[in-house]
Amino acid sequence: MTKPGLSGKLSLFGMLRRSLIHRRARSISALIAMTVSAGVATALLTLYADLDAKLHKEFRSFGANIVITAPASAPLRPDALARVQDIAGKDALAAQFAYAVATTDTGTPVVVAGTDFAAVKRLDSWWQVDSWPEPSTADAALLGQRAAQFVGNEKAVALNFAGHLITLHGVGRIKTGGEEDSRIYMPLAAFTAWTGVGPSVIELQMPGGAATVEATMARLRQTLPEMQVQPVRQLVEGESKIVDRTHALMYGAVLLIALTVAVSVLATLSASVLERRRDFALMKALGGSQMQLMGMFLLEALTLALAGVAAGFVVGSAAAWAISEGNFHTAALPHLSVLPLVFLLNVTIAAMAALFPARVLRGLQPAALLKGE
Amino acid sequence: MSVSEAKVVTGQLANLSGNDPSGNTRDDCAVISLKHVTREYAGHGSVVRALEDATFSIVAGEWVAITGPSGSGKSTLVNMIGCLDRPTSGELKIDNINTAAMTATELDRFRADKIGFIFQQFHLIPYLSALENVMLAQYFHSMTDETEAKTALQRVGLGDRISHLPSELSGGEQQRVCIARALINNPPILLADEPTGNLDAANQKIVAELLQDLHRNGHTIVMVTHDPEMAGLAQRRIALSHGKVFCHPVGGPMVTLRRATDRL
Ligand SMILES: Nc1ncnc2c1ncn2[C@@H]1O[C@H](COP(=O)(O)OP(=O)(O)OP(=O)(O)O)[C@@H](O)[C@H]1O
Ligand SMILES: [Mg+2]
Repeated sequence: MTKPGLSGKLSLFGMLRRSLIHRRARSISALIAMTVSAGVATALLTLYADLDAKLHKEFRSFGANIVITAPASAPLRPDALARVQDIAGKDALAAQFAYAVATTDTGTPVVVAGTDFAAVKRLDSWWQVDSWPEPSTADAALLGQRAAQFVGNEKAVALNFAGHLITLHGVGRIKTGGEEDSRIYMPLAAFTAWTGVGPSVIELQMPGGAATVEATMARLRQTLPEMQVQPVRQLVEGESKIVDRTHALMYGAVLLIALTVAVSVLATLSASVLERRRDFALMKALGGSQMQLMGMFLLEALTLALAGVAAGFVVGSAAAWAISEGNFHTAALPHLSVLPLVFLLNVTIAAMAALFPARVLRGLQPAALLKGE
Repeated sequence: MSVSEAKVVTGQLANLSGNDPSGNTRDDCAVISLKHVTREYAGHGSVVRALEDATFSIVAGEWVAITGPSGSGKSTLVNMIGCLDRPTSGELKIDNINTAAMTATELDRFRADKIGFIFQQFHLIPYLSALENVMLAQYFHSMTDETEAKTALQRVGLGDRISHLPSELSGGEQQRVCIARALINNPPILLADEPTGNLDAANQKIVAELLQDLHRNGHTIVMVTHDPEMAGLAQRRIALSHGKVFCHPVGGPMVTLRRATDRL
């Protein structure tokens, strides 16, 4: 039995459109459910698409994840920083530090650290510094929150190291909640000139997950065997744990929402078939086959699912953009690559939700439905 | 033409066709034939026998009225003839084909080809216009043809109402759309379950005239009715009571009028 192509004004799609418009409330509620499912899936998948990149970028602001220390009391070799940078790659951030204990003008001992302010500013972007020194000024100092209390005059910080005096110009304060608060930071060159002490610690921040960090550490140990290479354990583990947990949370959310939506779409489609049993019975009386009726009904469900994908993609992409903007301060662009998955999800939901109504349709008794009452 | 006038015309027609030149027996010419047909409904612990051991036949071109009190099985009978329902037992032949042997898909096809339904409740699709409702029958039959559908609506006097939705039509007009839909594919058999049950006298008259017209064109009409005047238009009356056919007079001589485009 063949169905020739349609001519004239009545087409399957025309009927479908009319039918959907006729039952506006139902159509809209099904469409909303489908849009929600597609929207949530789009948002989550879009975020997922750059989640790793995003989270890693975010973790950067937590500072170093590897610390390289010179062997006891001997300073680092002059080319140490360059070699570390070489091994870690140009995406890694590194800064070296030299430490000495000096006394302030009030006679209190304090740890003074020499470093490269520009490098530290990038590496430890989480430090709260009210104003960073100009990179060119050789006598600038950053005073730790606590260290500042032991200094008589912050504008002219007078320090004594084994009889060598230096006066620094305090330009700002550091607040980290850690040991940095008790230190005074100054440019490395001036520090070494003053104390004769060279850098002993390199802090390194490797982008990437735990595996990358491990691999980098192994290479560092191999190339620089005399040095101690240690991870900043908490951050490395915490990072992967957070990533894993975020993924699990996201999958869970998608599943939960898909189920909720499936139930609501099921309810809508069931009602839509039940209230149109007579229409379907009539079509049967007019010679419509089971296949045709089922086809019409499934086409309707599919149309709603597709419309949901289209609307949901727009809404979901916008949501992902907003979430990304709000939490990571970078916008997640719409990812067309998530469309097939969102489409699949919605079609699955529609198919699942159409199962019960399809059974109703199969059990349709036109005789009972059409006789006069 | 009034209903009683129409009756006279029908009578004349029946007489005109008095002698059957082919010499066939009644059963040979039967377009609908029932042998010991029973339909039972099981439910609520008991079995309802809606139709019991019905045996009769209807020949091509005949106009039969089915009468009987409410619940006597009239709709059950018509629905089985329309292949919307199957007998529990017995043999039902439409156009010499045993419906019991047909698959559901074949029945759907058979229905599209052979049967036109006219319902008491009209059963028009609410979101389709009069024209589209007629075209729906074409759609499930073969292909839609707007011109043909328009002609059918003109034939029932609704040429100026083709784009109206059912809700914008009076009951009588809706029934006429229903009739246009029933005859659009030119089916040999028209089944009408109380076609005038929801209509006033004026509209009943219009519908009666349309049915007479169809009868003249050779359609076989099986019509359920409570109305004696409507029943009087038919050539023959089959009376049901409690699911039993208690009278099916083979009234008048056989009608041998053929429809202009008979496909039987
Ligand atoms: N689907 C069904 N299930 C159970 N019983 C049914 C069903 N359909 C009809 N019946 C019963 O079968 C009997 C005949 O019903 P039917 O609808 O054929 O009557 P009818 O002669 O058309 O009545 P009316 O004039 O009121 O339309 C009734 O007793 C009815 O209760
Ligand atoms: Mg009835």
